[in-house]
Amino acid sequence: MTNDKIAFWHAFVITLFIFLIGIFIGILLENWRSNQISNLYQQSELDLLDIKLQSEIYTFGEFDCKDAIEKNIDFADKIFEEAEIIGRYEYASKLTDNIRIQHKKYDLLRTNLLLNSIKIKEKCKNNYNEVVYFYKYNDPSINTKAKQEAFSKILEKIKDEKGHDLLLIPIAGDNNIIAVNLLLKNYDIKELPTILINRKIKVTDIKTAEEISSYFK
Amino acid sequence: MEFLPYIYLTYMFISIYMLSLFLSIYFKNKNNFFSYPKITKNYSISFITPAYNEELTIKETIEHIFAIDYNNVKEVIIINDCSKDNTKKIVEDLLIKYPKLSLINNEKNLGKASSLNKAWETLDSELVAVVDADSFPKEDALKKMIGYFDNEKVGAVTCPILVKNKINFWSRLQSIEYITISFGRKLLEYIDAIYVTPGPLAIYRKKALEDINGFDEKNLTEDIEATWHLAYNGWDRKMSLSTGVLSKVPTKIKPWFIQRRRWNIGGLQCIKKYYHVIGKKGMLGAFIIPFFIINMFLGLVGLSIFLYLISTRFLISYLSVKYSIIANTPIITLNDLYITPSILNYLGIILFIAGIIYLILIMNTLKEKIKSKENFVDIPFYLIFYVIFYPFIMVNAIWYFYKKDYIWR
Repeated sequence: MTNDKIAFWHAFVITLFIFLIGIFIGILLENWRSNQISNLYQQSELDLLDIKLQSEIYTFGEFDCKDAIEKNIDFADKIFEEAEIIGRYEYASKLTDNIRIQHKKYDLLRTNLLLNSIKIKEKCKNNYNEVVYFYKYNDPSINTKAKQEAFSKILEKIKDEKGHDLLLIPIAGDNNIIAVNLLLKNYDIKELPTILINRKIKVTDIKTAEEISSYFK
Repeated sequence: MEFLPYIYLTYMFISIYMLSLFLSIYFKNKNNFFSYPKITKNYSISFITPAYNEELTIKETIEHIFAIDYNNVKEVIIINDCSKDNTKKIVEDLLIKYPKLSLINNEKNLGKASSLNKAWETLDSELVAVVDADSFPKEDALKKMIGYFDNEKVGAVTCPILVKNKINFWSRLQSIEYITISFGRKLLEYIDAIYVTPGPLAIYRKKALEDINGFDEKNLTEDIEATWHLAYNGWDRKMSLSTGVLSKVPTKIKPWFIQRRRWNIGGLQCIKKYYHVIGKKGMLGAFIIPFFIINMFLGLVGLSIFLYLISTRFLISYLSVKYSIIANTPIITLNDLYITPSILNYLGIILFIAGIIYLILIMNTLKEKIKSKENFVDIPFYLIFYVIFYPFIMVNAIWYFYKKDYIWR
């Protein structure tokens, strides 16, 4: 009977084996998801570069505002959808932090897009609205989480209504990105989440979609 | 809470470990799982049954004891612990029918352990069987349990407890629990880690009872304490899986909760009494006490995390709904319903399925031998809803333990 005490060691080895396989599969799964995001990012990065080059080429001749704005907004919509995928994958990422890095890269991409939009707006008539949603990414409080859930729904509703008349760019405001920090300083944003409308109006309290839309041009 | 995944992983590791341990013991011993030593010596045995307000079951209990197939039963003693109902009269009526039956009436209510102590010391048999007054041993119980005493190191032998009154959902869940415990107890026998020879039916060697000075009268679970004391003094405990004792269980949640709280308080009393043995005294210090403590700790940590997650989720939902109403946006959208499972979710599901398979294995292994058929549909409910009560009971028991409220309820 005493020999059965070796069962403790057997069980330990079996558990370790199963556990390590589980962790290994988990890391594989998370890396696979991270690679998917990475592929999307690479494509988006190329798209942005393409849009920016188009804008540069237009400076040699007649600037096609309509086309530039449309491309910009299409691109913003595309990375907005990708952001939802990142959000979900990030929430499900428990063993690795690769997706957090991808998130940071996307924040840079969105900042780049915003700068491109500013550039386009300088050259063209302001015929579309630009909404930048700065949100808290790291350890938001319960109230902030709830507020951000509500803000996301409001902005989605507005985007659905306005479609191509609205450029919506969500950016994490506390991801330690120098360019984003400069933007926050430049627009005097001290509180997260904040909705910045056309770089002039800041919304920090919950309002209806209609109220927010009333700030648009 | 970034540390949460690590806590989940720790829980999973321990769960997989316990499952692997039990399965590895089972597969190593499955061929002799139901075997028991044949009787080679005609040991004399006496029965003790403490009774307090047991008018509904005492007659049947006595009848079952006398129906047991064994020819050297010396005496059957019922200790009436100042019952306020008809227990005394029912036993008195049976005294003529059963000459070996005797009745002790306590002058004041002493409690179970004191009643047992009062009786066993007077006996002159080699073995002492304790039977609860709401329990009904099977006819072959002694023939399949007594043989273990040929080994002079064996101090106590127990058998599976089966639920007699499977009359509703709650008692069916307890039935699953009881056979799971029985299966586990047999497995623990192989590693010398039986931690209780429970009240419904336990046979003690009288010499072993003398060695531990009987039952601890201050402990609410005198059976757990006696078993730990036996282990402390180097006595082996055995489990015969081939027979059983039917017992009545609470059919409503409140009495069930009170019963389990008492068990937990008793467990805490035992930990307090024996924690100094950790790391010593064989499997008592190496496995049983650490197992109890880890179990309690994991239950409490699990409950705290569960309550933290539930309360924060509730608060977020409440505020989110409040803000959604102010903002005039939908309270819930399709995006909210879209879930991307994490590896922890997958591992949790795998573990849950493993739990179900383990329970099915137990039921299939035991159903023929102990004639206890369970409803497989109840298994998921047992794993999800029933087990979730354990930590709540533990918290309540700790509170009573802290208040030193050791009243038998």
